[in-house]
Amino acid sequence: MSNRIVIDPVTRIEGHLRIEAVVENGVVTDAFSAGTMVRGIEKILKGRDPRDAWAFTERVCGVCTTVHALASCRSVEDALGIAVPKNAELVRNLMFCAQYVQDHVVHFYHLHALDWVDVVSMLKADPVATSKLAQSLSPWPKSNPGHFAAVQKRLKGFVESGQLGIFANGYWSHKAYKLPPEVNLLAVSHYLDALEWQKEIVKIHAIFGGKNPHPNYLVGGVPCSFNLEELNAINTERLNHVGSLIKEAITFVEQVYIPDLLAIASFYKDWAAIGGGLQNYLAYGDLPTKGYNDPSSFLLPRGAILNRNLNEIHEVSGKDANEIKEYISHSWYQYSGGDGVGLHPFKGETEFNYTGPKPPYDHLNVEGKYSWLKTPRWKDHPMEVGPLSRMLVAYAKGNTDVKELVGVVLKKLDVPITALFSTLGRTAGRGVETQVVAHWMKGFYDDLITNLKNGDTKTFNPVHWEPDTWPATAEGVGMTEAPRGALAHWVSIKDRVIDNYQLVVPSTWNASPRDTKGQRSAYEEALIGTPVANVEQPVEVLRTIHSFDPCLACAVHLYDPDGKQVHQVQFS
Amino acid sequence: MTTDRKAILVLGIGNILLGDEGVGVAVVDYLRDHGGAPEGVDLLDGGTGSMVLLEPMRESRRMILVDATADGAAPGTLQRLVPRFSSDFPPSLSAHDIGLRDLLDTFYLLGETPEVVLYAISIRFPQEIHFGLSAEVAAAVPRVAEQIRKELQEG
Repeated sequence: MSNRIVIDPVTRIEGHLRIEAVVENGVVTDAFSAGTMVRGIEKILKGRDPRDAWAFTERVCGVCTTVHALASCRSVEDALGIAVPKNAELVRNLMFCAQYVQDHVVHFYHLHALDWVDVVSMLKADPVATSKLAQSLSPWPKSNPGHFAAVQKRLKGFVESGQLGIFANGYWSHKAYKLPPEVNLLAVSHYLDALEWQKEIVKIHAIFGGKNPHPNYLVGGVPCSFNLEELNAINTERLNHVGSLIKEAITFVEQVYIPDLLAIASFYKDWAAIGGGLQNYLAYGDLPTKGYNDPSSFLLPRGAILNRNLNEIHEVSGKDANEIKEYISHSWYQYSGGDGVGLHPFKGETEFNYTGPKPPYDHLNVEGKYSWLKTPRWKDHPMEVGPLSRMLVAYAKGNTDVKELVGVVLKKLDVPITALFSTLGRTAGRGVETQVVAHWMKGFYDDLITNLKNGDTKTFNPVHWEPDTWPATAEGVGMTEAPRGALAHWVSIKDRVIDNYQLVVPSTWNASPRDTKGQRSAYEEALIGTPVANVEQPVEVLRTIHSFDPCLACAVHLYDPDGKQVHQVQFS
Repeated sequence: MTTDRKAILVLGIGNILLGDEGVGVAVVDYLRDHGGAPEGVDLLDGGTGSMVLLEPMRESRRMILVDATADGAAPGTLQRLVPRFSSDFPPSLSAHDIGLRDLLDTFYLLGETPEVVLYAISIRFPQEIHFGLSAEVAAAVPRVAEQIRKELQEG
């Protein structure tokens, strides 16, 4: 028997994603991923001052805001040949790390955990047993029986009434939920602790970026004024604050996030064989230590893996016209040279061409165009991007911090390295990355303090700030890694304004439709073989999709073409 | 800076890249440019910020939220609402699943009751992707701002 299940919108993500999956005999046999909102930031940027582009791109999304600003600044710096001072590199790295740690923790507890954690079961937990369990896993202080009893009591009414969005949209009591009530209570309790903690760590963005949300960036450096003694500058007091936030971040990750991840994962080891999908992984890398133009200095290395062969890492270039190309055979766009070709982003075009059914509709025409996402390819290979890709590339390149922690996690779960190629591996890879990055953040902080104490307070390189120093035409690429995967901006500057601007965002790699050759992208491929016990409650599909940390706000924008309400389903 | 948080937070929400969707931000900008923040009030351009907004929201005693709504009313129509739960909100345009409503829900999860007033401004639907407000919605901005200022003065 064959069923076609539609999840639209997929909840607990940013942006609007529709998944259509064909289920035969309880297993997904085919899948289609569609971004049903249109994107058009490229059109807004044409004709503007390239030095302002970061401020626009930062607004496409509330989650990845800083990484878009970073990619944008880098693209312009690359085009104009600007190198940022050491302090600017360190501050950008600190903001990058703060975003990673916050975003990964928020993803785990608030966007992904409820695929594994049953909040209804939590109500049956014994607070004393939960306390014992918590203390056996971690020295985290909020673990006495009274604390867990209070959490349970507070949430009882909300769970039962469904008044709160997060509890209203779950497939609670589905048999795929396997955690004992005490583990469920522990996880929900830490869900609340994570809420409190995450609001602190992002203060790092306000300290260095002047404000939050949407902190300030600057082409040529960072808009920070360091003066250890002065009240209105970034002084010793503020830097001490950053230092203590980093310390708390390391504690939270090591005492809460990682122990929970391992405890939960140990009940779901079957998911180490589900959801692997594509066998190709791409990372642009980031966290330069000797400048953006020296990728060999990146703590998160750049590279591509094909066919899961960890013995060979392929070089990746954002500029080579034969490497990164976007296809639109199944996307609602048109290219002047025909819809069958792939275009490198420097030659990218953004012309809408909606040919889909008039909403409301039951199914998309997946033989034709069916998404607002273009389909990026690297040397014509479909690639997965994200924390797993980054950790695999770092592992394969021999990064000792990553190798060591991956080893610890595999050993604790008693699974082989091939377990990483799965839904569980994706979720575990994100945890590994968070812990490694939290410690690297401390290293960048120490380096910054040393620099400042040595009297180097330079944060801006004014060379080529003035447009009269620019060539008539220039083009550049700014590559980075958003928490959810490889992100790059391509800018072409002509007569001192933006002539073309293209973004290729992580969810475009992962959530895109098939390419011209019919090859599936990461979400579609990862769903193949996923068991679905009850087609009315496809929690298993959500597990795999959420393991990618979907965020479509920057991949697509708000609306169906007829203006269908975007979020009606889960909140009204 | 986020330090020195004031007792009342006026928070404008929206995406300025989506035309009228950014009206909440425009109202906050207007208040800032016309007399600034009254004593004890913090004006915040919340943009498309999501979880990041929890910190300023938690640190305020009372919140006045300004957001666009796609409720079908004439563009520029203003409603003042006192929502209790996320389900009380009018149709939102926010692209954020983890958006304003969830942030308010988290107050309850953490054992608190937020004191919230929502100024919802109707906009046409859908919006083209462009920068800047339409004439009707731009005309509503001073009106909304003055009403908020009045509410702030009345305490």
